[in-house]
Amino acid sequence: MKRRTTELVYLIFAGVISTMAYVSVFTGRRGDIKTSSVVYGLIFVAIFLILHAVVRAFLSQADPYLLPLTALLAAIGLTEIYRIDPRYALLQGQWLVVGAVLFIATVLLVRDHERLDGYRYLIGAAGLALLLITIVFGSTVNGSRLWLRFAGFSIQPSEFAKIAIVIFLAGYLNDKKEMLSIPTSHVMGIPLPAPKYFGPLAVMWILSLLMLIFMKDFGMSLLFLAIFVALIYMATSRIVYVVAGGVMFSIGAAVAYQVVGHVQERFQIWIDPWAHAATTGYQLLQSMFAIADGGVLGAGIGRGYLLAGHRPVVPDLQTDFIFAAVANELGLIGAVGLILVYVLFCWRAFRVAIWAPDGFSKLLAAGLATAFGLQTFIIIGGVTRLIPLTGITLPFVSYGGSSITANLMLVALLLMVSHRTAVIRAGSEHERLKLAGIK
Amino acid sequence: MNKAIARIFLVGAILFAALIVNLTYLQVIHARALRDNPLNHRGLAQELKIDRGRILGFDGTPLVVSVRKSGFYYRRYPQGSLAAQTIGYDSVALGHSGLEQSMNAVLTGQSSLLGTQSALDRLLGRRPHGADVKLTLVPAVQKVAQQALTGKVGAIVALDPKTGAVIAIASSPTYSLATVDDDWQRLRSDPGAPLLNRATQGLYPPGSSFKVVTAAAGLDKGVVTPTTIFHDTGTYVVYGGKITNYHGEIVGTIDFTRALTYSINTVFAAVGVQIGQNDLVATMMKFGLWQVPPIELPGGSVLASGRYEKGTIVSPEAKLNPLQVAAMAIGQEQLVATPLQMALAAAAVANGGTIMKPYLVQQVIAPNETVVQSAAPQTWQTAMTPSTAATLNLMMQQVVNSGTGTAAALQGIKVAGKTGTAETSRPGVNQAWFIAFAPADDPKIAICVSIENVSVTGGEVAAPLAAQVMRAALAQPSLP
Repeated sequence: MKRRTTELVYLIFAGVISTMAYVSVFTGRRGDIKTSSVVYGLIFVAIFLILHAVVRAFLSQADPYLLPLTALLAAIGLTEIYRIDPRYALLQGQWLVVGAVLFIATVLLVRDHERLDGYRYLIGAAGLALLLITIVFGSTVNGSRLWLRFAGFSIQPSEFAKIAIVIFLAGYLNDKKEMLSIPTSHVMGIPLPAPKYFGPLAVMWILSLLMLIFMKDFGMSLLFLAIFVALIYMATSRIVYVVAGGVMFSIGAAVAYQVVGHVQERFQIWIDPWAHAATTGYQLLQSMFAIADGGVLGAGIGRGYLLAGHRPVVPDLQTDFIFAAVANELGLIGAVGLILVYVLFCWRAFRVAIWAPDGFSKLLAAGLATAFGLQTFIIIGGVTRLIPLTGITLPFVSYGGSSITANLMLVALLLMVSHRTAVIRAGSEHERLKLAGIK
Repeated sequence: MNKAIARIFLVGAILFAALIVNLTYLQVIHARALRDNPLNHRGLAQELKIDRGRILGFDGTPLVVSVRKSGFYYRRYPQGSLAAQTIGYDSVALGHSGLEQSMNAVLTGQSSLLGTQSALDRLLGRRPHGADVKLTLVPAVQKVAQQALTGKVGAIVALDPKTGAVIAIASSPTYSLATVDDDWQRLRSDPGAPLLNRATQGLYPPGSSFKVVTAAAGLDKGVVTPTTIFHDTGTYVVYGGKITNYHGEIVGTIDFTRALTYSINTVFAAVGVQIGQNDLVATMMKFGLWQVPPIELPGGSVLASGRYEKGTIVSPEAKLNPLQVAAMAIGQEQLVATPLQMALAAAAVANGGTIMKPYLVQQVIAPNETVVQSAAPQTWQTAMTPSTAATLNLMMQQVVNSGTGTAAALQGIKVAGKTGTAETSRPGVNQAWFIAFAPADDPKIAICVSIENVSVTGGEVAAPLAAQVMRAALAQPSLP
């Protein structure tokens, strides 16, 4: 089967699953929701068919699984959000349209991701600026300063900054990877590269510390430093950076724990939510109770106990805690299924990186895959109390305009890398066959 | 570079595997513990979505109904708080008590009585509808009983001796079911203990009302007959101790019937010693003492009567000396009984010696109006022989005709009864009792009235209240 046909078949498959989920919500909450909302479902299908058409026209050799997996995640999210509060679903639908437009714009304007490498300092500076603006002008929600408000919108610049930083680091580290790999000195028997190449590491460390202290957000801080450590490791294959990054982050975290009350609080809730059951631990406990209630099979979408009246029983259910809603209604089977969809997505994304013919493409794809996967891990681990809770979105599933638009751009970049990889490989195959005298 | 990328993916895969393991722990292994955690109110809150069944009086009057408000159902009490401690509250914060607790499965429609939910209903997530519970309580009689107790601390239990159906069950002071959430802190700390169901949880020394049990044992064992003659000197000396009459009375020569009529302690103490501990305790157990009466209330809200030491019940086999047996025969000596138990003692005499199993639920009515369960009266205890019961019935009529219980007399209706005025640990403070049934020749109601902390006798304070309730009950067109 041709790649785009495969993509279309899987998109239709995702469409069938989302239709079933929608019917489940509709029958489960009859009386509470309106029939007219079928229209949203149709808009959703139309958006992904348009994206498919764009990919077919401009990125015909791109990976055929990433877009259907994205559609599946977005469908699960939209259905669950719709089930929690149809008003949010309408807004999320609108953000999906904005995201689709940005996806198409990314494909049409960038065309070849190699061009991004040329603007890497500009892009890196833009990413940094987005973070700094947030630190200075941001408003605080749930104790974290992650939001910028203007003209009635709230955007979360860190979601976009994440992509910008990956692009910058992919370019920068690809350039400097040889220098970073060669040890010039030894400290206590450990080979170390020239001190000046530790500069960027220090910059990233300081940046993540600033995020921790000023944004008071452990999750984003961890995400940024981990992306950087993963990228520098993938660029140099040298474990010393991972160890150094880990040590530096631990120091930073220990300092922040002493200095930032919010971080301390989050950590204490994680250790003993029961001691704060009525106050700060309430949300996490409600999340755990809702997840436990799901059992193996779950109540079914639209049938779980998620709302008391119109108020979600877990605060922030439609955003950070959407996974608790999915685990409640789809049970262990559905929740593991959702996790496996993320694993599949990451697998395809890392596969794009491994097949990519050049360092920049490899690092870009792998960096985006790391960012995507790690963000997923941090929030699912947080709401299930595997790791301390930190407020970030579950890609494509959580309600949130910045998250969905930024992640659609991320998919566009991955598709671009995979398309060019396939074209180059096909081209070199063609060259090889020509040299061998076969037409 | 590819090797490093693959390693990063591998690390990611391990992290995701950890997510799955942790999720399995939460949803399968640890799920039950999380569900049962007292901080988890999801179950109760979910029940608010169920149209909880009504609780009806015997005549069909709704006592408790559910009202829908923005998708949730809340309890309303059209008749005010009738039998509050027995019907119980329904609260997300506090849980359930009384019949709201014991009948929860029926009221929420989850009982197997109502059939299993159809597969289609489950597929469509239709919630079960609660079934109505029709009680044996007759609202008009219940209201009289509650009014009779106004301003007093005590309880009234009235039941049909032939079936065991509870006609009225009142405990005072009481509380408002509708505002229990708001009042909770005050109710919990109130020294009057309004949350306590004194009818089934109040353990009081039965005093002379217990002479009915002693008389049944004596008559059954052939130790006495109604005409057995006793010579009272005002004091009965036994085992280095003595039993005296109320207010130090000396009545001289008296037969057993008149000894009951005037409640002569010395006679009953002597009869008790003559019967002996073994046979007296055996009869007490046949009356149901040392057992929790099997009524449809949650565990803990009905207590067993018997001998208690330091708050725990003492084995009936514990050896007593003759003075203790003598004191027990007149309802003292750490013997305590609930008003429900003493109402059942009256019912035993009324029903030819047989105690019917007491019950509160007349019918369970499914949402489709079909009656899925009806009360089927059954024997609980055989307390005495029919002939002993007949004899005791006549003797107890004398108590109301000419004895200590004349205040319970009803115009044109034969009433049998027995007074009780038990001394408490505080001097001058009595527990007043009256147990009775009527009409004596065809009993339709057996009753126990028990009032705490009074300085007067059971005949003075409890008997008139029993008369009020019996009069109201016998005026009803139908009783359970």
